[in-house]
Amino acid sequence: MNVSLEMKKLKRTGFYPAFLFGAVLAAAIPILQTAFRAEYFTNQLLPGLEILLGANWQMLAMLNVFFLVIGACMMYHIEFADRAIQKMESLPLSAGRVFAAKCFILLGALLFVILIEAVSIAFCTIHWFSAGQNFVQELFQIFGFEWILMVPAVILMMMVASLCRNMWISLGIGVICIFTVTILPHENLILSFFPFSLPFQSLPDAHDSLHVSSYLAASCTETALFGILEALIIRVRRNCA
Amino acid sequence: MTNMIETHHLTKQYSDFTAVSDLNLHIKKGRIHGFLGPNGAGKSTTMKMFLGLTKPTDGSFEINGKMFPKDRQQILREIGSLIESPAFYGNLTGEENLEIIRKILNLPKRFVKDALETVGLYEYRNRLAKKYSLGMKQRLGLAGALIGKPPILILDEPTNGLDPAGIHEIRTLIRSLPQTYDCTILVSSHLLSEMELLADDVSILNHGRLLFEGTLSELKQYAVHAGYPVENLEETFLSIIEEDNLKRGGKR
Ligand SMILES: Nc1ncnc2c1ncn2[C@@H]1O[C@H](COP(=O)(O)OP(=O)(O)OP(=O)(O)O)[C@@H](O)[C@H]1O
Ligand SMILES: [Mg+2]
Repeated sequence: MNVSLEMKKLKRTGFYPAFLFGAVLAAAIPILQTAFRAEYFTNQLLPGLEILLGANWQMLAMLNVFFLVIGACMMYHIEFADRAIQKMESLPLSAGRVFAAKCFILLGALLFVILIEAVSIAFCTIHWFSAGQNFVQELFQIFGFEWILMVPAVILMMMVASLCRNMWISLGIGVICIFTVTILPHENLILSFFPFSLPFQSLPDAHDSLHVSSYLAASCTETALFGILEALIIRVRRNCA
Repeated sequence: MTNMIETHHLTKQYSDFTAVSDLNLHIKKGRIHGFLGPNGAGKSTTMKMFLGLTKPTDGSFEINGKMFPKDRQQILREIGSLIESPAFYGNLTGEENLEIIRKILNLPKRFVKDALETVGLYEYRNRLAKKYSLGMKQRLGLAGALIGKPPILILDEPTNGLDPAGIHEIRTLIRSLPQTYDCTILVSSHLLSEMELLADDVSILNHGRLLFEGTLSELKQYAVHAGYPVENLEETFLSIIEEDNLKRGGKR
């Protein structure tokens, strides 16, 4: 797996600026929201973190999934745009490793966005509320949970992007998946296991409904499943070419 | 003389259409082998099979004693290739493109500069590949094929898109390669006058079938014997193809 090589390929594509901009945008949302509605928020009798997550989580999750889709599309677009992929396929290189390296980079970029979001939430909590005991630990758990729940969607979206020569098609599929998630009823547990639904689940809510381990198990199962599926796809594509 | 590439009844079928049919090709070590045939004859398809870009429907081939698909990775390590139009990362410069290939092949750093100088792109190394002219893209593709001094070169119409001076330059370059370092070259082209100056051996493909394989002088003898014109390769080639098409019942 050659992550640094795959990172070099992304030069000048706007991938890195896009994630930087995305992180700033995502971080601005809780801050602006709380600044404008400070009184309404602080008058509630709940812990600060809970209020903030309740007000911002859906929006942050939506942005995260959106960045995920765009990132995956960009990463494979450079391979198809000038047929670089053909050159790569004629070099002694494993397609599976390239795929894994790309997933790794996207997960890294998303981790960066999530970290900035966590910092923003932390700032809001400390500035407008008061941080309780174990605050940092709690925050890490919440955003770590989010990151783990994004893994299946990353692999699935990368798979779609690697199959569509035209970036607009993979982007379209990604956007449709996001919209489907927003339409689906939120109470249904099975539907919330859909890879694109998982990132919308927040740790405190999952705690309340005692589904934390189910979500983690779903994420791990789907990750393994999509991993195997991708390995199969690579094999089938080679044999049918 | 040993064969670097050998195919045994190599066949490629697309649903209802045979692109390459029962091909038995012998590419000798240290030679420049010209691969001739009209559009759609199956030249690129054959070359793609050698690289594992497309899978044979039937038959087999051996490259430098290695079998496909068992030793695919090992085979790819020994082949430098340029297939059809050049393939590159448009968002990277010429130099960065070669740097990617160099890293994958695990070559020393200086190989990038060498390759750029060999194809005459050094001056433009910092320009984005998508801003290259067609000829420059072709040169970049060629540099990507030559970079590791691989023992086998597979070049599909390497002079495509080059100006007359460029064609001459690249032909001289390819011609000189087997002397500079030990390599075997399979090169396809439509420019028969070029081929005549470039190749040691030729094979002629039509509708996926091999019509002739041998040295240029053997081709001349064969043509004289069969009553084809022999003034130049072009004439000979055209009449061989025409005759074959007639035999096939005028089917194109
Ligand atoms: N993926 C494919 N599906 C169906 N037919 C194909 C496919 N790829 C190639 N062919 C057909 O196989 C035949 C041989 O194509 P190929 O590209 O090998 O020809 P070529 O000898 O390289 O021609 P040219 O001189 O024009 O480059 C053509 O008739 C082409 O239409
Ligand atoms: Mg061709």
